Amino acid sequence: MKKERISDKPRSPAHYHFRLFVAGDEINSRKAQETLHQICTRYLPGQHKIEIIDVLKDYKAALTNEIFFAPTLVILSPPIQTKIVGSLNDPQKILDVLGLAKTKEDE
Amino acid sequence: MAKKKEVLKSSMSGKGRRAIKKIPTYINGLDEILNGGLPAERTTLIVGEPGSGKTVMGMEFVYRGANNGEPGIFLGFEEPLKSLRQNAFTFGWDFPSLEKEGRLFLMEGRLPPEIIVSGQLSLKPLLSIISGKAKEMKAKRIVMDALDVAFRLFDEPVQVRAELHQLLEWLAKSGLTSLLTLKPREYPPGSLFQDFFYSMADCVINLDTKILNQVSTRRLWVAKYRGSSFGRNEYPFIISEKGIRTIPITCFELRHKPFGQRISSGIPSLDAMLGGGYFQSSCILLAGEPGTGKTLLCSTFVQKVCQAGEKVLYVSFEESPAALIHNVTSAGVFLEPFEQAGNLKIMGAMPEATGVEEHLIKLIDLVEEMKPQHVIIDAISACERMAGKEASFDFLMRFLNFLKERGITSILTNQTTGTKSQIEISGNGISSMVDTVIFLSYIQGEKEINRLIQILKCRGSGHSNQIRKFMIKDDGFKILD
Repeated sequence: MKKERISDKPRSPAHYHFRLFVAGDEINSRKAQETLHQICTRYLPGQHKIEIIDVLKDYKAALTNEIFFAPTLVILSPPIQTKIVGSLNDPQKILDVLGLAKTKEDE
Repeated sequence: MAKKKEVLKSSMSGKGRRAIKKIPTYINGLDEILNGGLPAERTTLIVGEPGSGKTVMGMEFVYRGANNGEPGIFLGFEEPLKSLRQNAFTFGWDFPSLEKEGRLFLMEGRLPPEIIVSGQLSLKPLLSIISGKAKEMKAKRIVMDALDVAFRLFDEPVQVRAELHQLLEWLAKSGLTSLLTLKPREYPPGSLFQDFFYSMADCVINLDTKILNQVSTRRLWVAKYRGSSFGRNEYPFIISEKGIRTIPITCFELRHKPFGQRISSGIPSLDAMLGGGYFQSSCILLAGEPGTGKTLLCSTFVQKVCQAGEKVLYVSFEESPAALIHNVTSAGVFLEPFEQAGNLKIMGAMPEATGVEEHLIKLIDLVEEMKPQHVIIDAISACERMAGKEASFDFLMRFLNFLKERGITSILTNQTTGTKSQIEISGNGISSMVDTVIFLSYIQGEKEINRLIQILKCRGSGHSNQIRKFMIKDDGFKILD
């Protein structure tokens, strides 16, 4: 149902706006980036935007956004309060938060 | 920088006999216990149950530092910043001003309510923030309050250990003097968390609260201090309106002032019995049964010295100031004008109202503010109501010691119950502090009761060995020939 809704009403290209806070190139941060890219390519092609912020280079960004753990995924749009921390080893959790169902070929 | 490196090197090699570098906490009495302060640029752990005073100690550490040229960061994982600032205000600490001036940085490290964990994570952003902020404000101190909360998202012990290690390693290199707080209940001895902290910290301070005879007393105890000596007792402390206060008897060397000149008791015939009066800065004990005239004897002295322009603090544990002033007027002693003029301060206090530390600190503050030449404690027998004999002894020894160090005369009254035993007269084992003992008693005749006065002890002076009758008339205390 949810998937239908998405295809019925195409959103603006950057409807899904993610901000991922990473700590340099530590392994968890790298993994999170990879997973996020995969999800976006598969489920949100052409309608996502990903910002990567390295807290090691920009501590003020971490401070103003109250980011204490890395990696941390913040979903700016649609506005969702929930933050997801960790290497994003479970894509289902992100999909749940976004309210997206898995595509058929996944199942 | 070169200097800092040198210090680190020598302390790490372990060969240098040089004492480790310390920074004062500037917390009242704590530096004395710590023999100078906390280990500089190292980590100190404060362990205590909720409500034991960990957060206050942490706040005071950064506050006092900020006011002494050492900017600080306070990272709280439990309390919202708003309530931290409000709590600080109750101690008169203006955090917002210090924050504006860049001398203090408060940060709330509470976990956001909506957070989902997926996979492994690290605390690097937190370290990045504090390290960036520390550089920016040239911080010297950091407090991490309830740091354990930050580790709640980590479920694997290996990960916790790795993160902790990284954190402590970062702290060690940061040049900051750090204070971390921990609750013992959540991490009992033997748990990974506690073991880790205990072994990594250079100094460990325990805080707790004990209930003794229904009076609660906060205590602190230094469990470990690498490379330094420290006071090894349990020290009572209070959280006063000015922050943490403790009055440790760490150096109990006697620093009493010698006796000063003679001062009149206000009763010439008693002065004669004493060989010329009391001595300034001595301790005089007036013992006797109820109604023998102890309070009147004190008040007569108070009136006399106040007339000479001197100042007296009268601590009344038995009567209210108004009742005291009123009752002695019947014997021709008028204290009210001196109270109004500010020469006399009568402090009425219920002994059982608070514990020993509160009483002691309140009185010490009063003495330091008022700077009296003489202090009256009426009566020391009531002090037992603070929390028993031991507490009373503790209170008196420390207060009298404080007065003697400052050359202040102390007059104590002690209510005896007619046994006339020397121990009871001198009161609670404090006889070593007492220089002069005057004993008042009754003798029942066939048709009358006679009041008697005698001097049992008078250090530094010859004195009368007689037992003299005395009367209390409407113009005062009269010793008969």
